[in-house]
Amino acid sequence: MKRFCVVLTIMVLVALIIVPVSANAEQPPVLSTTELVENSYKWDGQTVSFKGEVLQDLMVRTDGTWMNLSDGNNTAMGVFVPKGVAMPVISRTEDYRTVGDVVLITGVFHRVCIQHQGETDIHAVSVTVLTPGSTKANPIHLGRVVWFVVLAGLLGVVMWLYYRKPTDGTRH
Amino acid sequence: MIRRIWREDFRIIGYYTGLVTIGVGLLMLIPMVTSLVFREWASALDFAISAALTLLVGYVLALISRTKNTPGLTHAMVIAAGSWLVAMVLSGVPYLLSGHAKSFLDACFDTMSGYTTTGLFLLQDLDHISQGLNMWRHLLTYVGGQGIVVLALTFLIGSTGGAFKIMVGEGKEEKLEPNVRHIAILIWRISLIYLGVGTVVLGIIATANGIKPYLAFFHGAYIFMSAWSTGGFAPYSQNMLYYHSSAMEIASMVFFILGSFNFALHYAVWSGNRKEILRNVEIVSFTITVLTTFSLVCLALMQRGVYPNAVALFRRGFFQLISGHTTTGQSNIYAQTFVLEWGPLGMLATTIAMAIGASAASTGGGFKGLRMGIIVKGIATDIRKLLSPERAVVTGHYHHLRDNVITDGVVKGAAVIVVLYVLIYVVGAVVGMAYGKPMADALFESVSAGSNTGLSCGITQASMPTLLKIVYIVEMWMGRLEFLSVFTMFGFIATSFRSMRLRKVAA
Repeated sequence: MKRFCVVLTIMVLVALIIVPVSANAEQPPVLSTTELVENSYKWDGQTVSFKGEVLQDLMVRTDGTWMNLSDGNNTAMGVFVPKGVAMPVISRTEDYRTVGDVVLITGVFHRVCIQHQGETDIHAVSVTVLTPGSTKANPIHLGRVVWFVVLAGLLGVVMWLYYRKPTDGTRH
Repeated sequence: MIRRIWREDFRIIGYYTGLVTIGVGLLMLIPMVTSLVFREWASALDFAISAALTLLVGYVLALISRTKNTPGLTHAMVIAAGSWLVAMVLSGVPYLLSGHAKSFLDACFDTMSGYTTTGLFLLQDLDHISQGLNMWRHLLTYVGGQGIVVLALTFLIGSTGGAFKIMVGEGKEEKLEPNVRHIAILIWRISLIYLGVGTVVLGIIATANGIKPYLAFFHGAYIFMSAWSTGGFAPYSQNMLYYHSSAMEIASMVFFILGSFNFALHYAVWSGNRKEILRNVEIVSFTITVLTTFSLVCLALMQRGVYPNAVALFRRGFFQLISGHTTTGQSNIYAQTFVLEWGPLGMLATTIAMAIGASAASTGGGFKGLRMGIIVKGIATDIRKLLSPERAVVTGHYHHLRDNVITDGVVKGAAVIVVLYVLIYVVGAVVGMAYGKPMADALFESVSAGSNTGLSCGITQASMPTLLKIVYIVEMWMGRLEFLSVFTMFGFIATSFRSMRLRKVAA
């Protein structure tokens, strides 16, 4: 029994060491839109990982769901999640007042997707929410309120002068 | 002999520029309301500040230059060209206040791109801008397509003798109705009817594609405004790729092809003259150049094996080509794809299509189909003359609303404008190459700016050199106004200095 326990412990330890390493070895690289588009032939048909913020619209279609993931300044990638692939609950999508959920997807990159008539996309095989979305502040600055009041006041004065005594030639 | 410039000349120009500026200020109330509806309070305040500033500038200009005189041709040209510059600067304020423009020059670049219906942009983090700012971007392009001056004419300026001249200065030279205000109203009536129809159609498609209905109709309105005005903007940085929808692309394509047609042709069809569609020289020219350039694109894409089947080739290749030819600039591929996958022939074919562009007196840019038709018919007439007996009288004709005789003057007029377009395309390309860009890329981007198309192969970015930004802004401005009013404005400024000097000498 003692020997069995020792063997079991060693096996568990070996498993703990080996499994993460092998999982790591199989983990596809996390790539950016720029990398995928600029090296589209290299990554075409490869399983890749992609991380990005979910943009505003999750578009549910008959055969799956489209989402667009933003991964930088004016770069985003269309990700198709076919029906049958587990889709986690996306609590928030991006808009002016919201930061969307950041998700990590793993899937097959298509330089030219045959199913989607030549689109450059990723077909997801797994989707994980990494960071839930949050609310953005977008505060109103007092300085701008003052600017508005000053400008509106000046505008009022100028408009009063303009409309006060219209000359014959104007059409107002 | 060039006439001297007097104080009254400045008053006329100042007064009418002021009225156009007031029009721009009033326009800012639409995105402000949009922001309020979406509870984007900070964005709404930005638009309130911008509107107040623009109205203030407009009213001050109109107040200090108030005059009862109507503009002559010179004034009209200067008002048209100058108004666009004033509008560019003031319309850039909301961009700057939003924090999405890296500099005021970038903001001006985007507003000039919007007004001229180009579609290139330097805005940062486009995917996170407010609905108000998105409305403003698309409104700029919609209004720019019909003409800012047309807008002011409709709502602010009465039926004055000089008003039509200002419209000509803005590139709307078709006199559809005797009364200029009626022309302006007619242009707006046609555009607003299409806006209603387009928003509903695209909104329904967007809803069917899975976008929430209340947002779908905003998407519909944005894409329609972008398509109809051959602008090329879209609410997200992926442009048409965002929607993953062939229906959206087809509907948009129909609207931007319609938008690229001459307003006079729309009017003729609306008035019951449907045969004009088949006979008009611009439609014939457009059909021939589309077929030719699309054949080249197909050849390039098939040679390189870019797309695996005809459906993919047509959906990507034809959309991009027709988007370029109508000078729209909407895109369903990534910008880098042009360089990395389409190759030199594909890029060249698209560049030629962009350079030729849409119809005259439309929302589009480029040489215009009318000029291409006139030049080709002019060459054909000359060849026929050479092949005919010396005593034979050979005349050429082209059909544009009616049968017109081809004269040397008509051909020369068309050729001069085409040469000027080529000149700005080349200047932009040379500056691009001076900054180390490959020739094909530099020419592609320069033609895209000068023809007001907006397709990009990746050169247009906030990080590009300041001089290149300025060159593209000037290209967009000159290309949209078709040179005459811009040259008149420069001439007016030079003459003003000369007149001042003469007055000083006389004193």
